[in-house]
Amino acid sequence: MDSAREVSDGRLTVEGFSVASRAFADKWKIHNQSFPPWSWVPLINRTLLVSKKQEEGYLSLEKIIILSSLEEEIPEDESLNVATDCLEKEETVDHTILVPTMENEAHYYDFHIVYSASYKVPVLYFRGYCSGGEPLALDVIKKDVPSCSVSLLLESKWTFITQEEHPYLNRPWFKLHPCGTEDWIKLLSQSSSSSGCQMPIVLYLVSWFSVVGQVVGLRIPLEMLN
Amino acid sequence: MAEKETPPIILQFAPLNSSVDEGFWHSFSSLKLDKLGIDDSPISITGFSGPCSHPQVSNHLTLLSESLPLEEESLIGTTSHGNRNKCPVPGILYNTNTVESFNKLDKQSLLKAEAKKIWEDIQSGKALEDSSVLSRFLVISFADLKKWSFRYWFAFPALVLDPPVSLIELKPASEYFSSEEAESVSAACNDWRDSDLTTDVPFFLVSVSSDSKASIRHLKDWEACQGDHQKLLFGFYDPCHLPSNPGWPLRNYLALIRSRWNLETVWFFCYRESRGFADLNLSLVGQASVTLSSGESAETVPNSVGWELNKGKRVPRSISLANSMDPTRLAVSAVDLNLKLMRWRALPSLNLNVLSSVKCLLLGAGTLGCQVARTLMGWGIRNITFVDYGKVAMSNPVRQSLYTFEDCVGRGEFKAVAAVKSLKQIFPAMETSGVVMAIPMPGHPISSQEEDSVLGDCKRLSDLIESHDAVFLLTDTRESRWLPSLLCANANKIAINAALGFDSYMVMRHGAGPTSLSDDMQNLDINKTNTQRLGCYFCNDVVAPQDSMTDRTLDQQCTVTRPGLAPIAGALAVELLVGVLQHPHG
Repeated sequence: MDSAREVSDGRLTVEGFSVASRAFADKWKIHNQSFPPWSWVPLINRTLLVSKKQEEGYLSLEKIIILSSLEEEIPEDESLNVATDCLEKEETVDHTILVPTMENEAHYYDFHIVYSASYKVPVLYFRGYCSGGEPLALDVIKKDVPSCSVSLLLESKWTFITQEEHPYLNRPWFKLHPCGTEDWIKLLSQSSSSSGCQMPIVLYLVSWFSVVGQVVGLRIPLEMLN
Repeated sequence: MAEKETPPIILQFAPLNSSVDEGFWHSFSSLKLDKLGIDDSPISITGFSGPCSHPQVSNHLTLLSESLPLEEESLIGTTSHGNRNKCPVPGILYNTNTVESFNKLDKQSLLKAEAKKIWEDIQSGKALEDSSVLSRFLVISFADLKKWSFRYWFAFPALVLDPPVSLIELKPASEYFSSEEAESVSAACNDWRDSDLTTDVPFFLVSVSSDSKASIRHLKDWEACQGDHQKLLFGFYDPCHLPSNPGWPLRNYLALIRSRWNLETVWFFCYRESRGFADLNLSLVGQASVTLSSGESAETVPNSVGWELNKGKRVPRSISLANSMDPTRLAVSAVDLNLKLMRWRALPSLNLNVLSSVKCLLLGAGTLGCQVARTLMGWGIRNITFVDYGKVAMSNPVRQSLYTFEDCVGRGEFKAVAAVKSLKQIFPAMETSGVVMAIPMPGHPISSQEEDSVLGDCKRLSDLIESHDAVFLLTDTRESRWLPSLLCANANKIAINAALGFDSYMVMRHGAGPTSLSDDMQNLDINKTNTQRLGCYFCNDVVAPQDSMTDRTLDQQCTVTRPGLAPIAGALAVELLVGVLQHPHG
């Protein structure tokens, strides 16, 4: 049974991911109260009859709201106007309904940290959508996310945003491509400890997120790295 | 406080808004396609709500993929009760099969029917047992599963109280409670929200005793609460964030209170949170004055309102999910992604636009033609035209990778036609066409009756070459390459020539070469490219093109080659083309 406390090759096992995720979520809850907490979503594997000791799952942080100003007018669908006539005649004006003022458009973001069995590292999946449910395109997301961190990291070629099927939800989500992860985790662990590239599992996700989170504008406070 | 005869302020409620997650439409589409078909009977669904958790953004009534009554099990465990941000609300979905029937739905009577259910639940007392029925909602929709667009309209039925409820006062809860009371109320609320049993109960009583101890009770305990309190408020999860208006759920709540308990003055508590804890600055406490009904029987359902507005207008909403649901578009974006990955680290200067816009003409849809087409697709080239005169023969599918056994059955499909079909099956976004035509060849005499049609073919060939950017000469004889070579040279098109021997192959390109012309050869520069032309297939050969097919044995007529050569030659031909296109002078 794998009970290693550290990884030296920049990669995680499934069990390691589970441990690291819980440690990450706990630290986040303590130190990062300006955000809601991450929750662990377990996967129910119905094909295997043997129950696993450690459950598989992923971390989820949903409905982060970013307010953006109403910039473009979305062209109106003229065909929708057909349906109004019948309604206008029948419903009388109700004075008890507050007429809302047009406020800033709220954009909602969901983030999932999923384990990639082929790369053996965590992968960040994210998506954005409006209050009506329409998915946001990547260029809109880039406007919402602080621009300086995005360009810095994308230029370094360690991160690349691609659109792929979410492994469990079967819908296209954006993800940060994981192929460079192993290498820069090794770099991070090299600089911290003197004895080679050891990365304690409980700190793995914290370190990983300190880099990856910046691409999507989620910073973590320094205290989490202790 | 001075008593003034001011007209009563009518209590104005902030309307509730819907939010439909993409997952709901995905699940609904599957349900419609797999199970329902054209059945348009109403479907019971579950909406999810919760108290406001952001000071500037109101919460919505949300539909998720788990809102539908699905039987199949997904990989992720379904949410059970006890999720604090997903308080279930019963609802009903009417989906129509055409947009006309959507527009013709009798919205007023549908709204009335749902309002009646709420009224009956109030009268029978069911609303006290399961208060989420007070927020019952209705959705009408039209799902266009060919275009992947969805038109929908929500209604949140609210019983209209006549005369309208007037507002006596409204203020933040922190100003209404004393600091001791506030602390106790917050703690009680947090406990209520932390317990799985009560966290999704959206309507409750807040009882504050004379020693500032607050407790939260279920609505059905109202009688039990009488007497041992100093303050008794009717609390509810308020999705609205506004500081001077309560949210929509209060409407039916007041109708319930008036009907069950005949109170004229109602103290209500709009519960709102921030960061997962009760926020008494954001939450409101208000006092409303309700006119008791006189002579109103329990059977008369009050009027109801509640159709959701779309940006202030009384029109339905619509959403197009073609980008994430249309399989063809998904295939296109996946293929594009794959090509873009080449630019990432391996070849950052790759020009993908020139590849996707190049038009390729393939003369010959045989062994070479099929291989070339497949490799072109791999490079993201979408525009391919086949010219081939023949039909798929029984020996073809094993070596010609676009054909299958079905294409040979019967009299055999024309190769040009079968190839087009095959490409579209591989990647639906291909723009391909096939021309069934024989290429006129030198050395093959034609009779005078055929003269016109052959001339017509020459013209057709010439037009085809003009209208494409790159031409592949992939036919099975030497002489059939002669006319196309000439036409390509004349039109200055990129011509790639590939041919197979038994265990040898040749891939070459015709056209402008790398060296520039010296002055005394300018007159040879018919295309004005100022470069010396490369020798073509025929220039480099010693024999003039002539009839190579008659008077030969069977194994000299058919192209008998080692099977591995065609893929090699075809692939090289495509790589040669891509190289040419990427060159600055290409």
